[in-house]
Amino acid sequence: MKRLLTALTAVAVAATVHAHDMVPGEPQTQAILLQGGTLHTVANGTLENTDLLFEQGKITAIGDAIEVPSDARVIDVSGQHVYPGIIAMDTVLGLVEIEAVRATRDTDEVGPVHPEVSGHVAYNPDSEVIPTVRYNGITHAQVVPQGDLIMGRSSLMKTDGWTWVDASEQTNLGIHVSWPNTAISDAWWERRSPEEQRKAQAEARQRLQQVFVDAKAYYEAKQADKSIAKDIRWEAMTGLFDGSEKLYVHADDKRQIEQALAFAREYGFQLVIVGGRDAWRIIEPLRAAQVPVVYGAPYGLPSRDDESYDQAFRAPSQLIQAGVQVAIAIPGYWDIRNLPFAAGNTVAFGLDKEAALRAITLTPAEIMGVADRLGSLEVGKQASLIISQGDVMSQLGQDLSHMFINGAEVDLNNRHKQLYEKYKQK
Amino acid sequence: MNGSRHLSRIALALLAATSGAAVADQTTPVQGIHDKTPTLVALQNATIYTEPGKRIEHATLVVENGKIKAINSNNRAPQGARVIDASGQVIYPGFIDPYGNYGVPQAEQPERGGYRSKPPLYNNKREGGNASNDAIHAQSNWVDSFAADKDAAQSYIAQGFTAVQSAQLDGILQGRAVTVSLADKIPNDLVYRAQSKQFASFDKGSSMQQYPSSLMGSIALLRQALSDANWYEQAAGKQAYNGPVEYNAALAALTDIEEVGVVFQVDDELSLLRADQLLDEFKVPVTYVASGFEYARVDAVKATQANLIVPLNFPAAPAVTGVDDDLDVDLADLRHWERAPGNPAALAQAGIDFSLTLSQLEDKSQFWPNLRKAVKHGLSEQQALAALTTVPARIAGISDKAGKLAPGYMADFVVASDNLFNGGEVMSVWLQGQQQTLKSSEQAHFAGTYQVQVDGQSYRLNISGDEQRLQGQLNDDNAIRHVSRDDDSLSFVADLNDTGAWRFKLSQSAQQQLSGTAVAPDGRELQVSATRTTDDTEASEQTTAQADVNYVSRLTYPNVAYGLSGLPERQNLLIKNATVWTSAESGILENTDILIRDGEFSRIGQDLSAPSGYQVIDAQGKHVTPGIIDEHSHIAISQGVNEGSEAITAEVRIGDVVNPDDIHIYRSLAGGTTMAQLLHGSANPIGGQAQVIKLRWGTDAATMKFDAAPGSIKFALGENVKQSNWGENYTVRYPQTRMGVQTIMRDGFQTALEYQRRQQQYDDMSRSERQRTAPPRRDYRLDTLLEILNKQRFVHAHSYVQSEILMLIRLAEEFGFTLTTFTHILEGYKVADEMAAHGASGSTFADWWAYKFEVYDAIPQNACLMQQNGVLTSVNSDSNDLQRRLNTEAAKSVRYCGMSPADALKMVTINPAKQLKIDQYVGSIEAGKQADFVIWDENPLTSYAHVEQTWINARKFFDRQQDIAERQAVYDEKQQLIQKVLAAGESAKQGAQNGYKAPQPTWHCDTEHDFWLDHFSEQHHQHLHAGGGQH
Repeated sequence: MKRLLTALTAVAVAATVHAHDMVPGEPQTQAILLQGGTLHTVANGTLENTDLLFEQGKITAIGDAIEVPSDARVIDVSGQHVYPGIIAMDTVLGLVEIEAVRATRDTDEVGPVHPEVSGHVAYNPDSEVIPTVRYNGITHAQVVPQGDLIMGRSSLMKTDGWTWVDASEQTNLGIHVSWPNTAISDAWWERRSPEEQRKAQAEARQRLQQVFVDAKAYYEAKQADKSIAKDIRWEAMTGLFDGSEKLYVHADDKRQIEQALAFAREYGFQLVIVGGRDAWRIIEPLRAAQVPVVYGAPYGLPSRDDESYDQAFRAPSQLIQAGVQVAIAIPGYWDIRNLPFAAGNTVAFGLDKEAALRAITLTPAEIMGVADRLGSLEVGKQASLIISQGDVMSQLGQDLSHMFINGAEVDLNNRHKQLYEKYKQK
Repeated sequence: MNGSRHLSRIALALLAATSGAAVADQTTPVQGIHDKTPTLVALQNATIYTEPGKRIEHATLVVENGKIKAINSNNRAPQGARVIDASGQVIYPGFIDPYGNYGVPQAEQPERGGYRSKPPLYNNKREGGNASNDAIHAQSNWVDSFAADKDAAQSYIAQGFTAVQSAQLDGILQGRAVTVSLADKIPNDLVYRAQSKQFASFDKGSSMQQYPSSLMGSIALLRQALSDANWYEQAAGKQAYNGPVEYNAALAALTDIEEVGVVFQVDDELSLLRADQLLDEFKVPVTYVASGFEYARVDAVKATQANLIVPLNFPAAPAVTGVDDDLDVDLADLRHWERAPGNPAALAQAGIDFSLTLSQLEDKSQFWPNLRKAVKHGLSEQQALAALTTVPARIAGISDKAGKLAPGYMADFVVASDNLFNGGEVMSVWLQGQQQTLKSSEQAHFAGTYQVQVDGQSYRLNISGDEQRLQGQLNDDNAIRHVSRDDDSLSFVADLNDTGAWRFKLSQSAQQQLSGTAVAPDGRELQVSATRTTDDTEASEQTTAQADVNYVSRLTYPNVAYGLSGLPERQNLLIKNATVWTSAESGILENTDILIRDGEFSRIGQDLSAPSGYQVIDAQGKHVTPGIIDEHSHIAISQGVNEGSEAITAEVRIGDVVNPDDIHIYRSLAGGTTMAQLLHGSANPIGGQAQVIKLRWGTDAATMKFDAAPGSIKFALGENVKQSNWGENYTVRYPQTRMGVQTIMRDGFQTALEYQRRQQQYDDMSRSERQRTAPPRRDYRLDTLLEILNKQRFVHAHSYVQSEILMLIRLAEEFGFTLTTFTHILEGYKVADEMAAHGASGSTFADWWAYKFEVYDAIPQNACLMQQNGVLTSVNSDSNDLQRRLNTEAAKSVRYCGMSPADALKMVTINPAKQLKIDQYVGSIEAGKQADFVIWDENPLTSYAHVEQTWINARKFFDRQQDIAERQAVYDEKQQLIQKVLAAGESAKQGAQNGYKAPQPTWHCDTEHDFWLDHFSEQHHQHLHAGGGQH
């Protein structure tokens, strides 16, 4: 065992040698002008051949005749495309290095109820995965603890940073709940009868209800008496009751979503549906309740045999066109680098390109309450943006020349590029 | 009719006590007084079906000593016979069930524990010359442990059955069944055929051995066993190369299997066809125990020319009453609910001989209601009777003594109140001349309306309800109380004219007549008589007797949503003004026309004109590419992608388990994929044989196979094969390291060469030497390894890290063959030059990595580096999701390392075609190649493109516009079927709870589980990336 550990350590050391090559970007001190690019502002349409100036991490001007500080660094981006940084929701980025190696997984805490854990705490900024993800334009990722019922609290992380502390953009966004199953399975490995399945589902819902009864009792008791003994589980949930945090319910089935809607209405929570495969089946209730959907199956197979082959592809288009707020996400870690392509795929199935881009930039920022500083190219917002030679949502166009997060230039090198360059020489 | 029916019931009730005397045991010493009661019985004035289609009216059936003595049409009974009046009754030959587990012990189900909770068992306990696999126990003779089982017999007899062909239903070769009478006697008198057919299935049953763990493994094991039996027949008593030929009881028992024949139980119609192909190869006559789904592929079933044994386990309707219930219900299940009762009729109409069986029916009392349902769905009474008598008699090998009523046949027959197929009831069953009166027919029938005379007054009495729970009213509004009954009398209490409570007891005294006693409130006992004026049950039975069948469901191929009504027509075509990605020398051609004739590309050029009769497609602004080809796919596979039990399982064949019903075929067509190599999984170093298919949705497994593709096989290296992630119990199989992966392969090849040498030596022997020498035993595993060494079968090796890649290259070179394709090959870029020098190609994921340790160095520039080093490179899916969008997977090489678009598309068209050695037929748009192509609305390498049409051999298998129309058709049909279920009310709930096909899981490379043990790894394993599964 000892030898094995030594071997693993040796590998880990060898691997991290590369990681240290990518130095986190320095805080912006010099003004930077992006000159002559096509700006995909998301908020205000596409501006051809337009300049963008940012200083001290903030966008300070967009236009044709910007007054540029004399010491500004000027980057000619003519012919290139400038986008706000892409924001990946519902990920485990930084919590997992190698999925099959248990020692590298920090996603699931013990038992079904652990609201007290927070995603940012285990976020490994030196993960080899992170630079490969930002290579495709992802500047921020929502990091979500996993679990069977009350999963914990998610945080929005930058994809560049020395530590999880300076990589944190916004911690503790809200409580994540994995909604109990509602579907009845007839798969051959499901040995429980439909009645047994329904019973188990009802028990899980009962358990969920009890958690919220207890958490609410704690919240109210604390309102009355600040000095009560601190239960760190229910303490973590107080933000739901005072309205400062949102409830993210991971639910795919129509019945799950309906139950979550009723539940959130009962408690007055700000609800976000995560997953949302069946959201297209209940568009009107979602729209009426103004509940956003973090749609997790842009590349999904149909959920059911009778659904059309492209149902999962076109659901975002159906929802957005009907007025539901939708972010597109890929639940995962290494594979979230495909998020811009996944958004592009929804265009092939009915969404217009600007709406698709919004679903991976501004809408995620809005859902997570950071749209005041992220998600679009607007004066006053963070200079978290990417520059690509071509269309970032197309495999034929995406080719990043620069990435800035909060004005700091990000190293686009990564393990894959390094190995590529190395073996080119063999 | 009514009257005689009631009378005869009384007669039977009286007879019950004095039913025929037993024939004495012949070899058992008699203790006490000898029984010499005469056994001559005559049932007089009956309607007798002597066999299907032969009816004699007013006939007398004469029985003596357990056999039929005579059938007299003159309605005379012999002198001295005990005469039973069977007026108005119908007598049928006793029914025979050719498939059951009666009177034979059931298999003990061993404690298996949870998933991978116990160490695996590779070898079984050897005893008595048994086979090396516990699923094979052909030597069992189930007559040896047979004894009558009165309780179990009753469930058969209650439905009219008198004989059954029985065995322990466990394992692949289950042993010789015994055909027995269901009478309650000593076994010696019951055995009709001591050694009946061999029973078989694909399910390894109670065997705890790892092998086989998949359907294809079961098929391979059966193939080897049948081959071994042939070998044993020639080899027994001779000298093998390593000693005298062993004694093997299982093989000895199989040497005459060509004469004995098998009864083979299958899960569905696809497995029926699979079994048939195998058994046909060995000339084994077979009868299939069917699944009830045969109507869905009735022509193919018919073509097997086999007899069937058909269960009547019609399913209960899927639950659709709740508002969201339909979310969990597939159209396919609703269709089956509607059509399952029509299966027997469909078989009969196709001219397939079949028997019925009680087996697989959860509630045996549903047999007759279901059979009547089948008759309503078009099964003729004559066919139904044949399926209960003559056909099963033939299958069970007792046509000379049962299945008909004829002199000399066993006195096994059914006495029914009326035509059984139209409302009649089984009243008594005679087994070897012994009458078994069924409880229901002993009872008088009381429901009805009577005029009652008592104490000089007349009342109207209405008796209603189930005969076991009767209720009633006097003069319409005065409810009677304390109603009770026994077989022939009815008691109740009623208030008459405010005088108080009267107690009544009535018995049937004549046609339509009850008589008995009433006790007045003052204690007087008075005579009562009651005359029946109407009869309740007759009316209700008549309403059930009429129904006609109109199906609202469509029958498609396969019979699921998006199935086709038939093979799409082959068309001659001119495609105009397209951007044509040829995947050939000519590259990407703008504004180009393609002429397609007789299923092939005939001309590619500009301004071509269409000959008359050609369909013209205006493809202005569209892109046309060759059909996409996937080197690595696991769709369309039934019941297990891995025979992951033993380290080398080269004998198993994906081709045996191609599943044409898999909806992923259609979904992949919708993504432009026209061909796929279906690979065995990666659970063992040398896995099973692969199968190249064309995605001809709507056809059968045989049609989907692309026969021009040479044989190929899956190898695997690394973590999966050394069971790295299988838990602590799985550490005993060799190999557990990459070193051992090399040596087990070397040992396999070495052994194969020696096997070949022995075969050659035997071929060279003189006649006299051969008389002493056993012929070499054919070993399908080694045969396959030899095919590799002899360059007849080509290797696709699952591989990741550079050490193992080089190892396999060196090993192949040592044995003188070339590896065809390294698949996955995520570190191919590190040894691309060595791969190129060896001549191996590479088929990679576009960008997968980090899901396990051996893919930590995987890079999305892999394809570029391999290609730049001269390795023929493709991009594969290994996923039913990615198989739908290989175009954009290939495009990632443009993104990550600047590959040209034309070259990128080649990675999913001509390059995989070359890797599968089928590039002379497919893979590019060139004159003379098969017209497999895709029409896209946009540049196919961008996210923004979708498929408009997919064609295979100039037949259009996917059309997005038709698909959009079909969605609506699926929706409408589903609503109609739901309406039909709702209209059926409570009756829809009746039926089997397990009557539908369970969905197949999504197979991945390492979906390693024992199909037969119901364990399934993916349920125990959460995936942290969207694609799921591992590779």
